[in-house]
Amino acid sequence: MTGATVLAARSLSRHYGRDGGLVRAVDEIDLDVPAGQSVAIMGPSGCGKSTLLHLLGGLQRPTHGEIRLAGNRIDTMSERALARLRRDHVGFVFQAFHLMDELTAVENVELAALLAGRSPRRARRRAVYLLERVGLADRAGRLPSELSGGQRQRVAIARALSNEPLVVLADEPTGNLDSAATVEVLRLFDELRAAGQTLVVVTHDARIAAVADRMISMRDGAFADDSRFVGNAATTATATDSPTVFGWEG
Amino acid sequence: MAGRLLLVCRLLVRDLRRRRTETVLLLLAISAATGTLTLGLALDGIAGRPYQQTRAATAGPDVVVQPADATGPQALAALAPLATAPGVTGHSGPYPVAYLTLTAHGETVHTVVEGRDTAAAAIDRPEVTSGTWVRPGGVVVERAFADALGVHTGDTIGVDGHTLRVVGTAVTAARVPYPQAGWRVPGTPYTDPGGLVWVERGDIAALAGGQQSLSYTLNLTLADPAAGATIGAATSAAIHVTTRQQIADTDDRLVAQARKAVLIGSWLLAGLATAGAAGIVAGRIIGRRRRLGLLKAVGAGPGMIAAVQLAEYLVIGLAAAGIGLAAGRLAAPVLTGPGAGLIGSAGTHPPAPRTVLAALVLALVIAGAAALSPVVRAATTDTMHALADAATPPLRRRWRVRLSRRLPVALLIGVRINARRPQRARLAMVNTLIITTTLAAALMFQAQDRKARFLGPSELPDPENERTYRAILIVTFVLCALALVNAIANTWTAVLDSRRPLAVARTLGATPGQAAAGLAVAQLLPAIPGVALGIPAGILLFRIATPGDVRYPPSAWWLATALGVLFAIAALTVVPAMTAARRPVADALRSAPS
Repeated sequence: MTGATVLAARSLSRHYGRDGGLVRAVDEIDLDVPAGQSVAIMGPSGCGKSTLLHLLGGLQRPTHGEIRLAGNRIDTMSERALARLRRDHVGFVFQAFHLMDELTAVENVELAALLAGRSPRRARRRAVYLLERVGLADRAGRLPSELSGGQRQRVAIARALSNEPLVVLADEPTGNLDSAATVEVLRLFDELRAAGQTLVVVTHDARIAAVADRMISMRDGAFADDSRFVGNAATTATATDSPTVFGWEG
Repeated sequence: MAGRLLLVCRLLVRDLRRRRTETVLLLLAISAATGTLTLGLALDGIAGRPYQQTRAATAGPDVVVQPADATGPQALAALAPLATAPGVTGHSGPYPVAYLTLTAHGETVHTVVEGRDTAAAAIDRPEVTSGTWVRPGGVVVERAFADALGVHTGDTIGVDGHTLRVVGTAVTAARVPYPQAGWRVPGTPYTDPGGLVWVERGDIAALAGGQQSLSYTLNLTLADPAAGATIGAATSAAIHVTTRQQIADTDDRLVAQARKAVLIGSWLLAGLATAGAAGIVAGRIIGRRRRLGLLKAVGAGPGMIAAVQLAEYLVIGLAAAGIGLAAGRLAAPVLTGPGAGLIGSAGTHPPAPRTVLAALVLALVIAGAAALSPVVRAATTDTMHALADAATPPLRRRWRVRLSRRLPVALLIGVRINARRPQRARLAMVNTLIITTTLAAALMFQAQDRKARFLGPSELPDPENERTYRAILIVTFVLCALALVNAIANTWTAVLDSRRPLAVARTLGATPGQAAAGLAVAQLLPAIPGVALGIPAGILLFRIATPGDVRYPPSAWWLATALGVLFAIAALTVVPAMTAARRPVADALRSAPS
C-alpha cells in the first residue's frame, strides 16, 4: 500500500571541500517516497547514504537541490522551523541509539512528546503505550546502561514513534547489534511497515532490505539502482494510509 | 509548556546529579568570588556600628576640643568660653593631658596621658573592660593599647620614669584607639601614633613635670551635633576641634587597608572564578556534546537547547551566591571584629540587601559570562557534528606543524592539545597570571616592615597592619584554593577533549607516560607566560595600592614563587593526566554508545 508522496527530493546534492578536493557525498538525487512505503537504502561505506538520510531529515543542509516533506520545502527552513519539523513529523533511529544516559527508558521515549509541548500526563501515557508495543513495558524504569543493545534500540524506535511522525528515518539501526537483537529490531520494523509507517532505512543488512517495499542502491553519492518489490507492497495492501497501530491511543 | 518545563527541570536535576564533581567545582569557583565580595562589603563601614555602641556605652561627646598650642592656665582660659557657648548642652572637663612616653616589657612608646577624676563623668565615661577605674598611683590603659603592649591589670609600667600599677583597661569614644590616639609632637602641630592611658587627676602633674606643661581637653555635647566643626568660633584662642564623626571616620580608616586588600582580592577572584567557570562549563559542554546533538535531532530548537543549558547555570549561580553569602558572613568576624579599641560587634548581623544583591549579580554574571559562549556554540553547533562527538580539529599552521615535528613526543602532544583549544590555553594562562599576581603582591606585603612604621624606636604590633595581613592571608588562601580547582578542571577538560586524539597517538606508538606528560605539558606551556607576567603584575598592583617607599623581597623569593607555581601546576595535572592515559585505547576510540 502506498499513498501520496510524503518525502521528495529534487537535484539534491551535498558537497564537501573545493576544487580538486571536492567530495560529492550526495550528487543530484531525485527521490519520491509515498506514504506508507518502506525504503531501504544500501551501498558501500562512504557512498553517501547516511548523508542523504541526514539531508532528508533536516539534520544537514544540502549544497543545492530541494527537499519537501508533506509538500513543504524544508531545505530553506530556519533552524527553529527545522527543529519543529523534526519533533512533529520525523522520527530518527540511530546506529548508536543516542539515548540520554541519565533518563530512564520511559523518560527517553516521552522526550520528543514533551519537546512537542504535549502535557506530561499525555506524554507519559503515550510512552508507556509505545514501550508496551516494542515489548519493553517491564523495562520502562530502567536506565539505558541497564538495557541490552537490542532493548536500547527498541527504546530508540519507540522514541522515534512518539509524535506519530510522517516518516521514520533509520541510520544503520542494526549496525551495533548482535544477531538476536537484530532479529528483534527486524521484527519491529516489519510491524511498522505492515502498519503503514513510512520508513527510510539506511542499512548494510540485507535482511532489512528484504522486508522493505523498495530498495535503493547507492554508489558515489548517486542512486545506482531503485527496485520496488511488489510482493512486499502486496503484503501491506490492507493497511491504511495513516499509521494506526502505533498511533496515539484515545 | 508544562511538558517542556518538566523536561528542562528533569534534565537539569539529572545532569547536576550525574555530574556532581563538575557541579561542585563550579559552585566552589563562583562561591569563592561571592564569598570574598561579601567579606569586602562587610568591611565597608565596619567601624560605624561598634563606634556607635561604644559611644552609647561611654556617653561619648559630640565634640572634643583642645588648645592648639597653649598649656597650663592659658589652655584653661582658651577652653573656658566653650563650655558655655551657644548650642552647647553639656560638658565634662577640662581634663589635663600630657604627651609622654610609656615603658612596658622593654618597649618605650608614645602615650597620651589624661588625668581623670575617680568619680564617673557625665560625658565621656570610659567603659572599664577589666579591673577598676583610675585611683591614685594607678593607671588605666586603653584596651587596644594594652593588647599591643601585652599588659594586663596588675602589671607595672613606667610613664616618663614613674612606675605605675595597671589597675584596669577601658575603652572610650572620645579618642581614636591605639595607634591613632593623637600623640602631639612637642612644639609642632603634628601628631605621632601612640596610645592612651588615664591616671588620677592628682597624679598627672607629677608625671608631666609640673602644671605648666599640661594641656587640657574638654568634652562637649551639642544641641546640633552636626555643627560641631563651628564650635571653635566661640573662642579667640587657637583650638583643635575633633567631632565624633571625625573619630568614627578615623576608626574606619583603621580597616581601610584591609578593605582595599579584600576588594582587590574579590576582583581578582571574580576574574579567576570566571576563568575557572568558563573552563568547567566548556568541559561540561564537551561532555554533553552528544546529548545536545540528540536533543536537536529529536526536535529541540536553539532556544530550548540554550534554556536547558542556562537553567543549570542559573541554578548553580543562585546556589553559589547563597553559599558565598553564608561563607562570607561566617568568615567576616575574622576581619570585621571591631578591634580591642571599641566594644560591640560588626558583621554578625545578616548581610545587607545591597550585599545580597551584589553577591547575586556577581554570581549570575560569572555563571552567565562563563556559560554564554559555550552555550551559544552548543545551540548553534551542527547536529551531526554534535552527535558524532567529534573533537575540534586543530587549526593548521605551517610553522606549528614544522615545529612540532622537531619536538619530543610529550611536547608535540602538548602543543597540539593547546592548538586544538587555544581558548582553554588562554584560560590556563589567565588562571596562572592571577594566582601569581596575588602571590607576588602578598610577598611584597610580607617584605614590608609591618611594625616599625609606628611608635618611633619601638616595635609594637600595628592592628591596622595585622588586620590587613589577615585579609591578605584569607584572600591568598581562597585564591590558591580556587586556582587549584581551576587547574584540575582545566586538565579534566583537556582530558575529555583529547581522549580520542590521544588514543590515536597511542595506537601510533606513544606510551601512556608520553600521553600523560603531553597533557601535563599542555597545562604547563600557558602557565609559563602566566608566571612571567604575574610577578611584575603583582609588584605593580602592590605599588598602586601602597603609595610611598616600599621594600622589595630578595630575588630568590621570586624565583621560588615562579618555580613553586609551575611545580604545583605540574603536580596537580599529572594525576588526572595519568588516569586518562591509562584508559584502554579501544575504549577511547570507540564512540561510546548509550
